[in-house]
Amino acid sequence: MSSAAGIAPFSEDHAESIRMVRDSAAGIADGAARARALRFTMPGFSAETWRQMGELGWIGLAVPEAAGGSGLGQAEMCALSEELGRALAPEPLINAALSAALLAEAGETAVLAKLLAGEAVVLTAWQDRANTLSPCIAADATRRFIAMGAGATHFLMPVGDGLQLVEASACEVTHEATHDGGHLTTLRAPAGIPVGQAALAPALDRAALATAAYLLGGMEAGFAMTLDYLQTRQQFGKIIGTFQALQHKAADTKMHIALTRAAVEQAAAALDAGVAGDEAAALVSRAKARASEAAMLVGQACVQLSGGIGYTDQYDVGLYLRKAMVLAPMFGGAALHRARFMALSPETEDA
Amino acid sequence: MNAIVGVEPENLDLLDDETFRSVVRRWIESAYPAELRNPPKRLHWEENRPWYFKLAEKGWLCPGWPREFGGLGLGPAKQIIFTEELERHGCARCNDHGIIMLGPLVIKYGTDAQKADFLPKILSGEHIWCQGYSEPNSGSDLASLRTSAVLDGDDYVVNGQKIWTTLAQDANWIFLLVRTDATAKKQEGISFLLVDMNTPGITVRPIINLEMHDEFCEVFFDNVRVPRANLVGQLNKGWDMAKALLSFERIYLGSPRQSAYALTRLKQLAERMGVWEDPTFAATYARHRCDLEDLKALYSRYVEVLKRGQPLGADVSQLKIIQSELFQRITETMLEVAGESAGLMEPMEGNRNLNPAGQYIQARPATIYGGTNEIQRNIISKNVLALP
Repeated sequence: MSSAAGIAPFSEDHAESIRMVRDSAAGIADGAARARALRFTMPGFSAETWRQMGELGWIGLAVPEAAGGSGLGQAEMCALSEELGRALAPEPLINAALSAALLAEAGETAVLAKLLAGEAVVLTAWQDRANTLSPCIAADATRRFIAMGAGATHFLMPVGDGLQLVEASACEVTHEATHDGGHLTTLRAPAGIPVGQAALAPALDRAALATAAYLLGGMEAGFAMTLDYLQTRQQFGKIIGTFQALQHKAADTKMHIALTRAAVEQAAAALDAGVAGDEAAALVSRAKARASEAAMLVGQACVQLSGGIGYTDQYDVGLYLRKAMVLAPMFGGAALHRARFMALSPETEDA
Repeated sequence: MNAIVGVEPENLDLLDDETFRSVVRRWIESAYPAELRNPPKRLHWEENRPWYFKLAEKGWLCPGWPREFGGLGLGPAKQIIFTEELERHGCARCNDHGIIMLGPLVIKYGTDAQKADFLPKILSGEHIWCQGYSEPNSGSDLASLRTSAVLDGDDYVVNGQKIWTTLAQDANWIFLLVRTDATAKKQEGISFLLVDMNTPGITVRPIINLEMHDEFCEVFFDNVRVPRANLVGQLNKGWDMAKALLSFERIYLGSPRQSAYALTRLKQLAERMGVWEDPTFAATYARHRCDLEDLKALYSRYVEVLKRGQPLGADVSQLKIIQSELFQRITETMLEVAGESAGLMEPMEGNRNLNPAGQYIQARPATIYGGTNEIQRNIISKNVLALP
């Protein structure tokens, strides 16, 4: 496989459940054609697929079993996100999984049960400005950059030192179309119902890491498609993959993907091993910084290597780049996460 | 040269990894000559022989060799820990071609007589080996090599030239890849030959590199007579034998240590030059630091392959590329930060840690040796990505 990069740092148990998650994802996430058909529609994703995701236990994949979830770890969540990224799945699973984790921690049960079953879509509206990792906790704030917010049944908002739930129908929302065929929602919500407290920072970090994994999956798929093209397209009477300039660009692309996989899987394994606090946040920041930057570089390279056809909307390779444009900055872009990594991670070098 | 009687090594392979690491670390810290830590240049035999003999006396010279041949018999995981600890302490590389390259090859392919003759002399420091592979017209395309060995009675007669032979002036033996069948396909006419450097007809000429250091040499062979018994393995099978040893080298070339060391020096330089708090520098430094940590994460995945006793795939080439290019980028930042001191021949203010030009120059060959990065990219394209 093109992503060959040694052995992942997972225990045998995790490796086995990761295989199961990947297998189950293969059944539902049937490639870019489904994603293409849903582009620029409202709400931009499939209610039927959302229910299936609930039935498969994906929305609560990392929610403890006691709270109705599947009780799996971050390694599995990343594997699932990677498969969703491969298929460009438009369903807002990562944000909803964040909501599920927060609701479970806060002790809320009624809306959580519906969310886990795929009967509700609860999206966390944590952000009031661009380029931040700090949640907005003001009661009357305008909340922004909620991907696929048109499909939400509820919004979950940090307010003060707690969480509040509001029904989407009670809110004032506007939607702006994004290049991946989805949209970003701006929200003005009335006072919500307090539902308890949860630690936001580690939950947001898990969403950032899952987003990195989603980007990784997109890189893999776009690159696989590009390799196929290099192996078949002919010019000057030769397969273009025989040209060294293209070969070396492909090799560089592969290395971006390998570094992303190493960083993402290292962070996931560490979180599952109980690493917490600054150390965990630093690992997540490194992984998200790498994934955000690599996804753009890989997306650009794939378009370039595909030549003119890569610039057409009908050819799927562009879908991965346009998805990367939207997701690279989500839950913090590369520069933001690199700066946080430096702030959190003391130098240990002893040479 | 002093001959050392090999000391029976304790069976370190029975220790758990972390205990082993601390045993190795403690001993290195107590035994390694302080003045040889992090040498700015590759050391000559005269400089590093005390360390060679310390390792030999301890019985730790050849960690990868089986115990029956005087090695430590360490498995792959412990060999890596051993190397990591040497690198961590900033130990100089020994004249180690006999230890790393020739020994394992003789153990695998040599006759009993060759094992009995050559292995103890590596352990005792009596034979210091160098490696004669590259030639003036056979660098990246090594298999095109033309130095010939023609049988004449019981001797091979060797004619030709080797180049980039590391520390040949320190060595008294050289192992060669030689052409023994000029008519066969290029990889299939190559044999592996052991040659005493004191044989008449051999000339060694050091090459001064950009560091102004004579690390590499040219070695000329003019009708050099080599006993037939010095052929290792089968005639015309030398290429495959040499290649089998190289995959281990590729993970060492990808070790993050060089970049880690350079990054620490960059930090010291930035503090000295007053730019450590500068936001532009901070952004560049953060990038290097993330690149290094991600390289470490990737490297450890390949270490895991070795620990499980599995073969390294062709994709390990990417480690070497990522490591060497990061090393170069870090040293390029050093030059930017150093300002007018960027061209100084000697370390700034006599402080060996502030040596931007030296580090920059040292980083240049990292993308050339061990297979250029362009060749490594060819390998990835063809053998990993399956491009035609």
